[in-house]
Amino acid sequence: MDFAFTEEQQFFKKIITDTVDRMVVPKAREIDEKDEFPWELWKEFTKLGYLGLRYPEEIGGMNADPVTAMIFYEQIARGSVGFAQSVIMNILMGTYFVYRFGSQAIKERCLFPAMKGDKVATMCFTEDQSGSDLSATRTTAVKDGNEWVINGTKMWITNGPVADFATVLATTDLSLGAKGLNFFLVEKGTPGFSPGQVLDKLGCRGTVTGELVFDNVRVPEENLLGAELNKGIEYLGEILDEVRVMTGAMAMGIAQAAYDEGLEYARKRIAFGKPIGNYQLIRAKFADMATEMEASRLLIYSAAWKMKEKLPSRIEAAMAKMFATETCCKVVDEVTRIWGANAFANEYNPQRHFRDARFLLYGGGTHEILKDFMGRLLIGK
Amino acid sequence: MNILVLVKQVPDPEALVEIASSGKDLNIEPKFAINLFDEFALEEALRVREKHGGKVKAISLGGSKAIEALRTAIAMGADEAMLIEDEAFAGGDGYNTALALSKALEKETFDIVLAGRQAIDADRGEVPQMVAQFLGLPHVGVVVKLDISDGKAVVESSLEGAKEVVEVALPAVFTAQKGLNEPRVPLITGVMKAMKVQIPKVAVEDLGLTKDVAAPENSKTKIVRYLPPKKRPAVQLIPGEAREAAAEAVRILIDVERVI
Amino acid sequence: MDKVLVFVETRGDEPRKASLELLCEAEKLAASGKFTVEAVCFGAMSDTLKGKLLASARKLVRFTDPELAAYSPEGYARALAGYAAETGARLVLAGATGTGRDFLPRVAVMLGTGMVSDVTGANWFDEPMTFVRPMFGGKVFAEIAAPASPVVVTARPNSFAMDMPEGVSGEYEERAAGALADAIHTRVVRVEETKGDAVDLTEADLIVAGGRGLKAAENFKLIEDLAAAIGGTVGATRSVVDAKWRDQADQIGKSGKTVSPKLYIGAGISGAIHHIMGMDTSKVVLVVNRDPNAIIFNYANYGIVGDLFEVLPAMTEEIGKRRERG
Repeated sequence: MDFAFTEEQQFFKKIITDTVDRMVVPKAREIDEKDEFPWELWKEFTKLGYLGLRYPEEIGGMNADPVTAMIFYEQIARGSVGFAQSVIMNILMGTYFVYRFGSQAIKERCLFPAMKGDKVATMCFTEDQSGSDLSATRTTAVKDGNEWVINGTKMWITNGPVADFATVLATTDLSLGAKGLNFFLVEKGTPGFSPGQVLDKLGCRGTVTGELVFDNVRVPEENLLGAELNKGIEYLGEILDEVRVMTGAMAMGIAQAAYDEGLEYARKRIAFGKPIGNYQLIRAKFADMATEMEASRLLIYSAAWKMKEKLPSRIEAAMAKMFATETCCKVVDEVTRIWGANAFANEYNPQRHFRDARFLLYGGGTHEILKDFMGRLLIGK
Repeated sequence: MNILVLVKQVPDPEALVEIASSGKDLNIEPKFAINLFDEFALEEALRVREKHGGKVKAISLGGSKAIEALRTAIAMGADEAMLIEDEAFAGGDGYNTALALSKALEKETFDIVLAGRQAIDADRGEVPQMVAQFLGLPHVGVVVKLDISDGKAVVESSLEGAKEVVEVALPAVFTAQKGLNEPRVPLITGVMKAMKVQIPKVAVEDLGLTKDVAAPENSKTKIVRYLPPKKRPAVQLIPGEAREAAAEAVRILIDVERVI
Repeated sequence: MDKVLVFVETRGDEPRKASLELLCEAEKLAASGKFTVEAVCFGAMSDTLKGKLLASARKLVRFTDPELAAYSPEGYARALAGYAAETGARLVLAGATGTGRDFLPRVAVMLGTGMVSDVTGANWFDEPMTFVRPMFGGKVFAEIAAPASPVVVTARPNSFAMDMPEGVSGEYEERAAGALADAIHTRVVRVEETKGDAVDLTEADLIVAGGRGLKAAENFKLIEDLAAAIGGTVGATRSVVDAKWRDQADQIGKSGKTVSPKLYIGAGISGAIHHIMGMDTSKVVLVVNRDPNAIIFNYANYGIVGDLFEVLPAMTEEIGKRRERG
């Protein structure tokens, strides 16, 4: 078994790590403090072309395989989660269904600009009453002539308040539950489509997250993003594994950022005449963190490899997501202990990693749901 | 305009460097980077090409891992790269490094050679000037501004306390100092190209040298052992409120330490 | 007896301190009876300068070629290497100043030998000679043996003592290297003095450095005042230079200047590792920071946990008072 990244992947990792260190890391504090969409950094970073990461070279993308993609997701999250979430939304969730099902005209209006960073994309699933339970979706899409009329309110939408276009999950028939779900493209400027309340979050600040309101929004037929009607949940399955593993990769980015802070502090902070890294209990923390991070990364990259090889990866993706995000929460906890009182100061970074890590426990699937799902798969019906 | 850039892969500035128990070796954390000052050299080369046309070729002397530094050069925009692969020469002193590099450069056509002013691992700052001397070329060191026109360069060299404006006909060697430019971050298209590119490797025998030239017993200078930096005693905090502490500090500096 | 050539750099009427330190070291070599020492210099020589040099070297050789009036790497290298070859010098020394580090590598190759750059210590009487020099920004020191002959060395300023004995009275000789015009291909168009007569950081004995704790560019006046009071040079951290409060030339650190002063006073500096690597070999370090946990305290001999806006002016005042008292 060859567990190593290919030489190409190693090189990619080097470059993106360095790029994030130069462009994103210095801005991370400010992004968190201001909690506004970081337009300046967005413009600078998107010029580099990484938003086309997952799409074919023929349309200006990089055609990166899932393993390479995870390398990217890990590093961008290490730089700034607030920035990473917005970037990743454009790279994958906010554009995928447009890429997959959109007409050429739609692609030219939405996908290609989004790949350049000229437009901000988003994906709208969650509602106030439906997160894990997509069958409880109440946003409706009703056919009227050759238009769809969309009504509803979406909540917790990343990039929502600034999005130029949104992929909206809506049901054509409330009685069908999950089997009535479809994706629709709604563009900014369409009457009835407006951003609502912007959320003030504990962490991942800088990613503007909020409510999106659809009040009799009319879109043409071609805005149904799907080959067939009511196959939304099935289509979602195409990126579900990637979204889960990606969350795990982001968790490792946050964990690494925190871990590095812990390392520096353990080496330099002097107590009782010696750097605290000399003491057993501190050393034990690093042993535990490093072991779990290594295990997390093996799960993440092995799941990504399976995706790359088109092998079944549903359960591995869920494992990777769950384990890595739980590990991240442990790492940020330990690092704040290593930092002691200084972890409590907003002037330093560990507090930001501590706050950022929480979202991982439910973003991409709550662990309560994941465990039930995994258990069912493992035991059988 | 043919521009050559001498590039070295060095341990990452944040990599842990420890002296082995034998004292004769270093244990260095295996994290590598392109030498900081070489980035300024590379960026300048790219700017010269943007302004005057031509080609940028990055050349490195190193072990097989140094390919990564050359890929980085390609990602930034260099047209070509070449690795002189030889661990002994790469780990050798400035003289041997410069000898190998200059033999390689003898086979190249160029107008300008750009190099970093020193490598942040060995901190010698010798090689580019030695290369210039081996090749019989002029050099200007510690360059913070480079302008080319009509086959000559007008450069600003920042010697301590003064800036010298120097004119030299090409071909010539220049060493890059911080402040020369702001190195660009590679575009994804550059990264993709660099990931796929095949970088030619050259052995020292191809340059008319033999491995034993770089053997320690034949080298002009060699490292005998490594020593740790001297340790400073633990800090003495001077107590008291501002004026008191200030007065005591001055007393210590004048009467005790006799430094002022 | 082996011959030692010490290249002496001058500025106006003054020999550079780095060169004087080497002349002190060379005097010890001469006094041992195992070496003869000659100081070599180029360019203009006033009577004042000549007097100072002849009190610091047993023999001073000045090359009078007009091409050497201005620095050029090829001109200086050709003259020095030519003389080293002619006299069969065993050791060619220069201060590891910007100039020294720039042209001595050419000298080494001209003499078919290698060199040891920026040494902080030397064992002149060992066979072969060995030297100590910093690597990795000072994280590690290397002991280098130089078996080839001649040995070409540049020495980091402030590494050797200024302890010239009384009574040295040197012989003076003028020579010409000849045929330099064809050897020189660079031309100095003009020189812009950017810092007047200030001592460069790399050679400064006394440094007062400020960091982000100063809060604003104009507050650097406190640093400047203290530096002026002690006759020192102002330094700055990378974050201060990046914020454009100070010039790149003031930066102490990994990508700035490495300093080795007798005294380093740092105020409002936390002690990021890249800065530490630029000043860690300072002999006496005094830091002022209001944060008792600032890393820099671990690299200091003396520390004041306090408000620099009060401490610095108080120190400046105290020094003024002491000077008055005499």
